[in-house]
Amino acid sequence: MIKLDHVSKIYANNTVALDDVSLNFAEGELIILKGVSGSGKSTILSLIAGLLKPTQGDVVVDAKHISKLPDHFCSQYRRDNIGFIFQKYNLIPLLSVKENIALPLVPLNLDEDVLHVKLEIVMKMFRIEHKKDMKVKNLSGGEQQRTAIARANVNDPKIILADEPTANLDEKLSLEFIQILKALKSSHKTIIVATHDPLFFELEFVDRVVEINNGKLVCS
Amino acid sequence: MLLTPEIITIYILNLIFFIFASVAFYYSVKIVFLYDKNAMSTLQYKLQKQSYLVATIIKFIFYTKILVFLFFIFTLDDIATILPGAMCGAGVVNATAYGTYLLILKIINLYIFAYWLVLNTQDINSEEQVYLKYKFQVYMAVYFLLVGEIILESLMFFSIDTKSVVDCCGTIFSTTDGTYMAKLLSVDPMILLATFYTIYSLMICSYILKNKYIFSLLNLLFVIISLVSLIAYFGTYIYELPTHHCPFCLLQRDYNYIGYLLYIFLFIGTFHGIVLGLMDFSVEEERKKYRISLFFTTLYLLFVSYFPIAYYIKNGVCL
Repeated sequence: MIKLDHVSKIYANNTVALDDVSLNFAEGELIILKGVSGSGKSTILSLIAGLLKPTQGDVVVDAKHISKLPDHFCSQYRRDNIGFIFQKYNLIPLLSVKENIALPLVPLNLDEDVLHVKLEIVMKMFRIEHKKDMKVKNLSGGEQQRTAIARANVNDPKIILADEPTANLDEKLSLEFIQILKALKSSHKTIIVATHDPLFFELEFVDRVVEINNGKLVCS
Repeated sequence: MLLTPEIITIYILNLIFFIFASVAFYYSVKIVFLYDKNAMSTLQYKLQKQSYLVATIIKFIFYTKILVFLFFIFTLDDIATILPGAMCGAGVVNATAYGTYLLILKIINLYIFAYWLVLNTQDINSEEQVYLKYKFQVYMAVYFLLVGEIILESLMFFSIDTKSVVDCCGTIFSTTDGTYMAKLLSVDPMILLATFYTIYSLMICSYILKNKYIFSLLNLLFVIISLVSLIAYFGTYIYELPTHHCPFCLLQRDYNYIGYLLYIFLFIGTFHGIVLGLMDFSVEEERKKYRISLFFTTLYLLFVSYFPIAYYIKNGVCL
């Protein structure tokens, strides 16, 4: 489903983020990308999401060459296929929970009723409906994360990408996130989590742990 | 050599256009010869990025050039007041050997620039970027037309002599001498009008039959017949003077700048019609182009037809 074919990424300051990486992710798999900070995990997620273009090599998702897509088609691809959970959540602090979750649906121009139903489903699924009218700046870390996860799922994407999702959470909330991950896995979504949190490495429902070091694949 | 604020502005703009267009030309050559959409090497990603930048530069130049065309016409009209004998832009165009060629080239370029802009829009709106190489190939040819225009324009303004007496539009568009223009202006108005309205009717028919190639060809013919009939027939009713055939005086304040409106309607309408035959559009886009084309050509037709009808109603006779 997702294929990275001899992908290299060199940033403008000549930092080699990825060096000739080839990887395959099957549909419905849950993969952990393991590695220290700066190893290239986030770059892989950004390439799959079409947020970055490789310096060399090909990124293919569902037979579509993402790396060669023009920018506005990348946005469309992202909107239709990707749910991205960022390390710092990237929520808009002055908007309410409901408004933040509804953001990916804005370009679709849905009917008010359909929008409402979609929002209710994800808010209930990620247990945040009781805070739906509260501004996100007033939420706890765990609630902010659940809002971010709800936003990533509101379009019902096939692929969920999570970049260091537990970096700002305590152990209790991290375990809660792992339970959410398990639930998402059972809904047959392809999930790729970039993390250096050891909590993820021994989970029985994880299909593979891929280790990245200095932009190179260590083990898969 | 004549230097007015408007001419200096045109010189500066031309210099900017030339620099940007040359940079874009250099990268266009690289893209045309080296870009391979199926290759995933560093060079290919670099070329793809450059293609966005170059297309943006060209887009900027062409959009500005289309707007600057109106400024050019305004400048011609403006400097007519300085040239002895000139009454409008026609005198300025005729003041040097380059004027007529420049004007013809500018009109052709106007359509070509607009065509490139549509081509670029089609390209960036397709996931496969089907026109990527082609649009830069077209640009490589258009670059020479653009440079030719800049050279001709510079030569024209450079060689204007404010001390020489030039012909006024009454002489240039006279029906009494033996020039091609005189012969053209002497054509029976009934023949001109019949051709003008027949081509328009055929455009409507080809729209109903959805034959875009015939529609495109008819639009091309409509540009020509519209300009000829405007100079030879409709213009005389705008001026309310049977001997006044100038296509430039229409642009003056005395006639409420009606010429700008007419030429803009004609350009927008015929361009959207002509471009239909030159490339493939989605069904929705094609329908939109047909409608824009017919809307503006109809507006043009209604506007020019108004003047003889109004004159007849007011005076009970034709000119």
